[in-house]
Amino acid sequence: MKKNTHPLISFTPETHQHAVDGGLAAIQGMVRACMQCGTCTASCPNAFAMDLAPRQMWRLLLFGLQQEVLESRTFWLCSSCYSCTLRCPRGLPLTAAMAALKRLAGAEGDHANRKKALFYQEFMRNVEQNGRVQEMGFMCHYFLAMRDPLLPLEYTPLGLKLLGKGKLHLGGSAQRGRLGPLFAKVRSMEGAS
Amino acid sequence: MKKEYGALVVGAGIGGIRAALDLAETGLKVALIDARPSLGGILTQLDHQFPSDHCGMCKMLPLTQRDQSSQYCLRKGIFHKNIDIYLHTELSGLEGDPGKFQASLRRRSTFVDPTRCVSCGLCAEVCPVRVPSEFNAGLGQRTAVYLPVPHNIPNHYVVDLDNCQRCWRCFEACPTKAIDFKFSERKDFHVIVASADEQLSQDLSLWLKDENFPLHLTASGEEAITLLASGLECGLLLLDLDLPPAETERTLRRALELRPGLAVVLLTGPGKEEAGAGLLELGARETLSKPLNKALTVPWLDKLFMRLVSDETLTFEVGAVILAAGFECYNPADNPNGCADLMLYGSHPGVLTSLEFERLASSTGPSQGLLARPGDGKPLRRIAWLQCVGSRDVKKKADFCSSICCMISIKEALLAKRLSGGQAEATIFYMDMRTSGRDYQRYRDEAENSAGVRFVPARPHSILPGPDGDLLIQYYDYSGELREEIFDALILAVGVRPPKSMERLAQAAGIEVNDSGFCSTKYLSPNRTSRLGVFAAGAFGEPTDIRGSLLQAGAAAMGASRMIRVYRGPRDETPEAEPQYTDVSRQVPRVLMALCTSCPTLERNVNSELLHQRMEVLPGVVKVVDVERACTREGWESLRQEAEATEPNRVLIGACLPYVHVPRLRELGEALRLNPALMDVVDIHTASFSGRVTSFGGHAACLASCATEPGASPGVCDCGEAARTNEMSSLLAMAAAKLLGADPSSLPQATPVSPQALVVGGGLAGMTAAMGIADQGFKVVLVEEAEHLGGLAMNLRYTLEGDDPVRFMEDLVEQVEKNPNIRVLKDSRVVLSRGKAGRFVTVVATGEGVAHTLHHGATILATGGHEVKVYEYGNRVHKCVLTQLELEQRLAAGSLDASSLKSVAMIQCWRSREESRNYCSRVCCQGALKNILMLKKRNPGLPVYVFYRDIMTTGFSERFYTEARRSGAVFIRYTPDSRPKVEFKDDKPVITALDPVLGADIELHPDLLVLSSGVEPSDASEIADLFGVGLTADGFFQEAESKWRPVDFLKHGVFACGLALGPATMRDSLLSAKAAAQRVVRILNETHLSCGNVVAEVRHTLCSRCGRCISACPYGARSLNLDRDKIVVDELLCQGCGSCIAACPNSATVLRGFHDEQVMAVIDAALAVQPSAAARL
Repeated sequence: MKKNTHPLISFTPETHQHAVDGGLAAIQGMVRACMQCGTCTASCPNAFAMDLAPRQMWRLLLFGLQQEVLESRTFWLCSSCYSCTLRCPRGLPLTAAMAALKRLAGAEGDHANRKKALFYQEFMRNVEQNGRVQEMGFMCHYFLAMRDPLLPLEYTPLGLKLLGKGKLHLGGSAQRGRLGPLFAKVRSMEGAS
Repeated sequence: MKKEYGALVVGAGIGGIRAALDLAETGLKVALIDARPSLGGILTQLDHQFPSDHCGMCKMLPLTQRDQSSQYCLRKGIFHKNIDIYLHTELSGLEGDPGKFQASLRRRSTFVDPTRCVSCGLCAEVCPVRVPSEFNAGLGQRTAVYLPVPHNIPNHYVVDLDNCQRCWRCFEACPTKAIDFKFSERKDFHVIVASADEQLSQDLSLWLKDENFPLHLTASGEEAITLLASGLECGLLLLDLDLPPAETERTLRRALELRPGLAVVLLTGPGKEEAGAGLLELGARETLSKPLNKALTVPWLDKLFMRLVSDETLTFEVGAVILAAGFECYNPADNPNGCADLMLYGSHPGVLTSLEFERLASSTGPSQGLLARPGDGKPLRRIAWLQCVGSRDVKKKADFCSSICCMISIKEALLAKRLSGGQAEATIFYMDMRTSGRDYQRYRDEAENSAGVRFVPARPHSILPGPDGDLLIQYYDYSGELREEIFDALILAVGVRPPKSMERLAQAAGIEVNDSGFCSTKYLSPNRTSRLGVFAAGAFGEPTDIRGSLLQAGAAAMGASRMIRVYRGPRDETPEAEPQYTDVSRQVPRVLMALCTSCPTLERNVNSELLHQRMEVLPGVVKVVDVERACTREGWESLRQEAEATEPNRVLIGACLPYVHVPRLRELGEALRLNPALMDVVDIHTASFSGRVTSFGGHAACLASCATEPGASPGVCDCGEAARTNEMSSLLAMAAAKLLGADPSSLPQATPVSPQALVVGGGLAGMTAAMGIADQGFKVVLVEEAEHLGGLAMNLRYTLEGDDPVRFMEDLVEQVEKNPNIRVLKDSRVVLSRGKAGRFVTVVATGEGVAHTLHHGATILATGGHEVKVYEYGNRVHKCVLTQLELEQRLAAGSLDASSLKSVAMIQCWRSREESRNYCSRVCCQGALKNILMLKKRNPGLPVYVFYRDIMTTGFSERFYTEARRSGAVFIRYTPDSRPKVEFKDDKPVITALDPVLGADIELHPDLLVLSSGVEPSDASEIADLFGVGLTADGFFQEAESKWRPVDFLKHGVFACGLALGPATMRDSLLSAKAAAQRVVRILNETHLSCGNVVAEVRHTLCSRCGRCISACPYGARSLNLDRDKIVVDELLCQGCGSCIAACPNSATVLRGFHDEQVMAVIDAALAVQPSAAARL
C-alpha cells in the first residue's frame, strides 16, 4: 500500500484562513473531536484501494490542507457502508463527512476533481431517467462526459466479464421516469434549505 | 432495632474499610455495610497489585493499639472493636441532618444462620443449580447456595434466592440446621386476594393449596380492607388492577394505613401498566402481570414470602455518612449494538475482560493460576490487550477515562510474562498510555525495555476468529500499513461504570450524580457530596486506583470525623478506662481449660470423657470444665464464674469459630484482671468434622489402619470417633503448651502522646491538613519557610472545572490565620527534631533568630514543589516563549490579547517522562487544556497546535480533552526519538516536527510557543534527614507503601501530603492533605500509644550487630544505636512479623509470644503419641 512521502507541510496563518474561506471549515467541524485512533481506517472495507487512509485524510482535513484533501480519491471511494460512523468511539459523522467532501469537490474543486464527480452525476442522472441504473447507458454517458477515448478500452475487460455473467442491464423502459417525483422533491427541499 | 453509631460507611471495599478504620481508630463507632454478602469489594477477586505483585491489603491495619483489631489478613476479614459489619445490607433512606441522621437499612436475608453454619459445604454438594460464579467473573460456576468468596473469615454459605429452585435439598442436607426457609411460619402468612376475576381466584386457590398459605379470596377492595381491619395478620395483599381505578387506589392507601409496610402486589393486565406505575409510587411493592401462570407465580410467591419474613429493616442514628459503593467493571456484553459482537466477546473463548484474566491468573481461579484459554485449555502465549473498552467513548456514555486500566494492563502483561516463565508475548494496543502517577512511568518503561512488553499505538476495531481457535487481529499502524497478527487471547481492558444500584443509592442518600452516573463532587471539595454530612470515599466520586481510593477514603473519613465533632459537640462519653492486669509473671502457670459442649450446632462426635482425662494430665492444667454453649451470653457468663472461682493465670477455651470469641477475651480479661494475651481459643469443631476429610491424623489414616486389621471393617469400628478425639486433644495440647510458654511479663511502657501536631509547609496541602487537625480540636503549629502562606497554588488563576482558585486560596489563608488552634510560624525553618510517634521534640528557628521548642505527637511534611525552570526552546530568551503557568497568568491578567494572536503552539512533557525527571507531572496536560479552552473562548478561530506524547487526562478531566479537540485544537503526537525542533526566525518560533499519522514533516510558524514545564519537589533532603524519612530518586518523599499507605512514612507518626509526595493537581493535594490530617488525628486522639502483644526483642549479649535484621524488617522498626552499640527495636513500629528472627544468625532476636522453647513445646505437643493410638500401634 501507498507510503505517504509528503513534502514538508508548512502551516502559516494563511493556510488556516484559506481553509476557513474555502468552505472546509464546516467539514472540519464534523471531525474535530477525532483523536486519530484509526478505528475508521481499520473498519473501512475500501481502505485497501484508497490513496490516503481515512485517518490520514481526516488529519489533512484538520490541518486545513484543502488542496491535498480534494486531490485525494479516498472520499470518492467511500461506499457509504457506515462502518466507520458506527464504530467511531467519538461518535463522529464520518460517512456524512465523506459525502460532504464529495459535494465540496464537485462544487469547488478544479477540473480534475469535477471529472471525478462526473461518475456520480452520470449515475444519478441515469437513475432518475430510467427509474433504476441501466449499466450500458450509464457507462456510455460517462465515457462521453469524460471525453477520454482510451477510457472505454480500460473498462472493456470488466465490461465483458460482467456481460458474461448477465450483470449488465441493457435497457428497458418499464421503470422509466418513475423516480422523477422523488428527485423533484429532493431538489425542491434542497432549494428551500 | 435502633443503634447509634458515629458514622455509617456504605460499601465495604477497600475505600469503605479504610474510611471505617480511620474513624474507628479515633474511637468512633462505625457501622460498615455492604450490599454484597462478602467484604473486600472487587479486591477480593484481584490477587496481584502492581508494583509489588502482592496483595498488601493488611498494610492498612492499624500499627499501634493493634490488639484492638485482631490481626487477621484484612483480605479475609476485618475485626475491630469499634466496627460493626452488616453484609447483604443496603441503605434505603437517610433522614435528618448532619450529626443526627436517621439511616434506614434493608438487610436481605441469606437464609443461613451464621451462628450455626460451619461451612461444611454439604448444602452446595446437593444443590442442583449451576449459575456463573461472580467471584470467578463468570469463568466458573457456582451453586445457588454458595460461598461468595472462598477465603473470607468468617465464611458462611449464603442462599441466592433468585436462582434457587426451591428443592429444599440444602435444607435437608444441612447438619447444623443453619438453613432456614421459614417453613414453620407459612401457616401464619395470610394472603388476601382482592380480585373480581373468578378464574384467577380459583386458579390461585388451586395452585397455592400445597404451599400451606392461608388464602383469603375477596371480590372487592372493600372486603379486603374489612378483613385487614378485623385484625387479620396479613402478610401479602394481591390487588387486581382490573377493579375500578378509584377502588384500587383507595384500597392501597387504606391497606397501608392499617398495616404500614404491608406488601401489596398489583396484578396488572394489559394496558394497566401506567396505573400500576402510579400505585408503585404510592407504596405498592411490585407488579405482577396477568394472566398468571402456575409455573411462574407459585415460585415467585414462595420466594416473596421468604423475603418478606426473613429480611430485616434496621434503623441507625449516625453522625455522618460515608458512601464508598465503588464501581462496576464495564461489561462489553451489556451493549447490544456496541462492541460485544465486533470484539467477539462472549462468542470466542479467547476474548476475555481484564477481570476475567485476573481470575485466570489467580491461584484460586478457575484454572488454578495456569494461563490457559477457557474452552480448549491452550496455554496463552501470545496475548494482546486492548485499551479503552468502554472508556473514553462518548457513544457508550463514557466521556471519561477509567484511570485504572492502563496500569492494570501493564501489570497483567508483566504477570503473564512471569506466570509463563517469560514465554508469553504481550502486546498492548492503546490510544494514550496513561501513566500519570509518580512511579508509573518508570513501571511502564521497565515493562517496555526490560520485560519486552510491546506497546502499539493503534486501535484494532474488530476481531476475527483465527486458525485453531486463535484470534486474528487486524490494525493499521501509524505508518498506514495494514497489519495482521495471530493471538491466543485478547484481553479487553474494560473501564469502570457506576455501581448498578447507584440510582437507588443516590435516591436513598439524597445525593446528586453527575452526567456519567458517578457521585457528583466539587473539584475543590472532592470528599464531599451534594449533601452536607454525606461524604464520598474510594472510587465513588471519580474512577481511581487503589492509592487514589485510599486517599479519597482518608479525606472522607476526615470530613466525617470533623462533621461529627462539629455537630455533636464535645463527646460526653468518658474515654474507656485502660484495663489493669495483675502481674502474674512470678506465679506458677495455672491453666483453666474450658470445653464447649452441647453446642446447638452439632452433635459432638468425640469421646468427651477420654478428652477430659487426657487434658487433665497435661502439665499446668489445673482444671478442665465443660461450658454449655460458649458462644452465648449465658455460656460465657458461666465460664466467667468458673474462672473467678479457679483463679487461673492462663485460660484456654475449646470452642468453635475462634474469631467470634476474640473480642470476648478482652472482656474476660477485664473481669479477671488477666491479660488477654494469656488466653486463647482453639477451634475444636472443625476437628469434629475431620472424619469426612482427610487431614493429619484424621479419618483416612484411621481407615487405612482399619483396613489392614483383619476382621475390622471401616463402617463398624469406632476409629472415626477415636481419630477425631485424637486430633482434638492434639489441638488442645498444642494450645496449652503455647500458653504455658507465653511471657507473662507486662508490656513495654506505653508512650504518652503530646496533643499537638506540627505541619511543615504552608501551601495548599499544609494549610488544608492544618485546618483538618485544628477543626477537630487539636493544636497545630504550621511552619512556613516563606514570608507568606500559600505556596505554588497561589500562582493559579483558574481551573478546568471553572472554580476560582484565587478566592479559594485567599479564603484558606484567612481561615488558617484566624484559627485559634493554629499557630503560624512564617519565615521559619525546622532545625532539629527528635523522638517518635506520640512524642516528638522539634526546634524551629524563625527569621528573627528566635528558636521555638515544640512538643508534638505527630508531624505532617508538606514541603511542596515548584514549576520546573525551563531554559531550552528559547524560553527566557524570546518573549514569544512562555510556560503554561505564565500563559495562564497573562491571560488572567489581560496582558496577553488572545484575539491578536494568529496561531499558538504548545509542547507537552518538556523533559518529563524521561530519565532525569522520569515521571508525569500530572498538572501539565490539564494546564494546557485549560489554556487552550481559554484561548479558544476568547478567539474561537485561533489555530492551536499541541505536540504531545500521551494526554494524561484521567478521570473526568477527559471531557475537557474532548472539548479541546472539538474546539479545533490540533494534537500532534511525538516520541522522545523525534521531538519537535524549534528555531527562531525574526524572533518568531519555527517548529518542525514529524506528524506520525501522515508520516510527513510539518512546519509551524506560531506567534506564541507555550511549554509544559512540569513540576518538581522542593529540596526536602534536609527535612527528610531531620525526621528520618526517605526520598525517591526524584526527590519526592518516599511513603511507606505507594498503594496501601499513601501518606504514611515507614517512620510512624510522620506523614506527608501534597506535591512533596508526588506530582499532584489541586484536587490531589486536597485529598492527600485531608487523609494525612486524619492519620494525625488518629494519634493525637490517644493519651498513650502502646504496642501489640507480639513484638520482637533483642538479646544484646548474643547479638553480633551484623545488621541483617535491620534490612530484613519490612516496617523499618529496627535500627543500630551507635551511641549504645545496640540494635534497638521501636515497639510501636514492630508488627511482630518475625522476619528478623528468621534473618538473625545468632538467635539473638526473639519474638515475644513465640519464644523458641515455646514453639518447640507446641511441636512436641502436636507430635506426642496419643495413648489410644499407641495402644493400637
